Amino acid sequence: MTTLDWIVMIATMIAIPGFGLWRGRGGKTTSHYLLAGKTMPWYAMGLSIMATQASAITFIATPGQAYVDGMRFVQFYFGLPIAMVLLSMTAVPIFHRAGVYTAYEYLERRFDAKTRALAGIVFLIQRGMAVGLALYAPAIVMTVIFGWPDRLTTLIIGIVCVLYTTMGGIPAVTWTDVLQMCIIFAGLILALITVISLMPHGVSFTDAVYLAGAVGKLNAVDTKLDWDNRYNLWSGLLGSTFLMLGYFGCDQSQVQRYLTGKSVAQSKLSIMFNAIAKVPMQFFILFVGAMVFVFYLFAQPPMLFQQTAMKTIATQPAYSSVQNKYNDAWSKRERAARALNAARQRDDKAALNASIADFRTAQREIEGARQSGIQLYEKSAHESGFNDTNYIFLTFVTRYFPAGVIGLVIAVIMNAAMSSSSGELNSLAAVSVMDLYRRLFRPDETDRHYLIVSRVCTAIWGTWAVVFAQYAKNLGSLVEAINQVGSYFYPVLLGVFILAFFFPRVRGSAAFWSMLTGEAVIVACSLFTHIAFLWYNVIGALAVVIAGWLFSIVAGEPPSHVLHVPGVSPRTDTGAV
Amino acid sequence: MKFRLPAETYDSEPPPILGSWRNMYLVVLGWLAFVIGVCYAFTRYFA
Repeated sequence: MTTLDWIVMIATMIAIPGFGLWRGRGGKTTSHYLLAGKTMPWYAMGLSIMATQASAITFIATPGQAYVDGMRFVQFYFGLPIAMVLLSMTAVPIFHRAGVYTAYEYLERRFDAKTRALAGIVFLIQRGMAVGLALYAPAIVMTVIFGWPDRLTTLIIGIVCVLYTTMGGIPAVTWTDVLQMCIIFAGLILALITVISLMPHGVSFTDAVYLAGAVGKLNAVDTKLDWDNRYNLWSGLLGSTFLMLGYFGCDQSQVQRYLTGKSVAQSKLSIMFNAIAKVPMQFFILFVGAMVFVFYLFAQPPMLFQQTAMKTIATQPAYSSVQNKYNDAWSKRERAARALNAARQRDDKAALNASIADFRTAQREIEGARQSGIQLYEKSAHESGFNDTNYIFLTFVTRYFPAGVIGLVIAVIMNAAMSSSSGELNSLAAVSVMDLYRRLFRPDETDRHYLIVSRVCTAIWGTWAVVFAQYAKNLGSLVEAINQVGSYFYPVLLGVFILAFFFPRVRGSAAFWSMLTGEAVIVACSLFTHIAFLWYNVIGALAVVIAGWLFSIVAGEPPSHVLHVPGVSPRTDTGAV
Repeated sequence: MKFRLPAETYDSEPPPILGSWRNMYLVVLGWLAFVIGVCYAFTRYFA
């Protein structure tokens, strides 16, 4: 990085959290710390919700995923708008009007204290692991650029996160996210413009798109129903809908965002904004990754994008032969890509078909050569499951972006990661304090006492996140890793909220035991089947609902009372759907 | 067993555009269908 990059990076990293702290200043109550005093407008909540889910991981890992696997990952988000509509109809008004601090507080009103506590603990386990992964993402940046050890950078960023969260609470985090998302949008557009401008002479934008499509990098939609395939249209529409329902409807880190709204309508608007913007944004990010792939058709990429891994294999006796094999494969692919492009520009059908076949063969050969490098690393480092997807985009940025822009991109990534992690830590503290500490141990303390305990809990969860992050290195692509962790726990939370909203006959004990049953079903699916993880969301949620329904029939419980909220006149005449 | 939406889900405040939340939801779902259609056409065209 140049001096200009350092100046831009440091100034941005100070300015963005500073702006958030300034906009969120003035509150000294628990309500302000955890719910921003319910004063947030829809656009701030909407951008904050996007920033929390996207954060640094999206910016780092998603383009790399398109580079390796094509654009099919976009299907993962097809269920999001559907989930948002359903949540806008149900969870948002229910939580908002109930006046709760956490989503799980509602479960006690609807069921009982043990169901609330179990849901809170499930959330803490899931989100506690996810926040560790989110902390690990920016450590990749430092590893690529400075060669620092992952563990040291994770530790440093974790400490900064904890300090930032304890100072600002949810208002500062939300306003930081607003600025952050604006800069991320600008950064993405700048990234696409840069990668296209870096294409060699004679390769236009349409040529680049054609080349990416020729080897399947633009496979945005796969209509084939395959239960073992992680990403296809059907798993996206159904499995992802359930996952998104669980994430946005039952995960306190998201629920807490729309609980900060000025009104129910403002909160609904915030998630409608997400419903419209999210899929195009993901498509755009993946498209940037596909264009990075095309760029590397004409500029040789490293065999392994993780520098430390390259240094490790460089000392091995077999390195020279593996590297030569890779170099030859890349040269062959470059020639094939140029031949294909020339045939396309001449509109020579016969040559075009032959060139496509050659290009695809060359692509398979370079993938094989890269795999040899990976195997050499795994053998020499005594590791398995090596994955450098997360390093691809950053390697490109640091090598080819102009001075100043690199610093801006790195600052955006660091800030986004810290802001996202801070929000998650804030929600972890909210559940720990409100659903466990205050409810079960110290119900009658002062507001100041709970504010202090919230800050202590933030520090404890921050410590845990840092420790977990130490072991995140070999979990594969971070995006997939986080979503896989979620798919083990969200279905249970989603199932119990479905029972709460739509099944008035189901009461506390039935709900509690149905959650445990659902979790057992998910674990069994994981251990004894090859079903792709997105389907766990459907299976687990349905298992909870069916189990809760059956348990309530066996117990012969009467319907529960409808939650009474002051000032709301229920229209029971049209209540059945 | 009947499904029943809790009373708190019924709205008194309409959205600032489109007149009602029902219309808003239809627009969002229509947008999703359009985006999937564009992605599908994109995939087929460049395959």
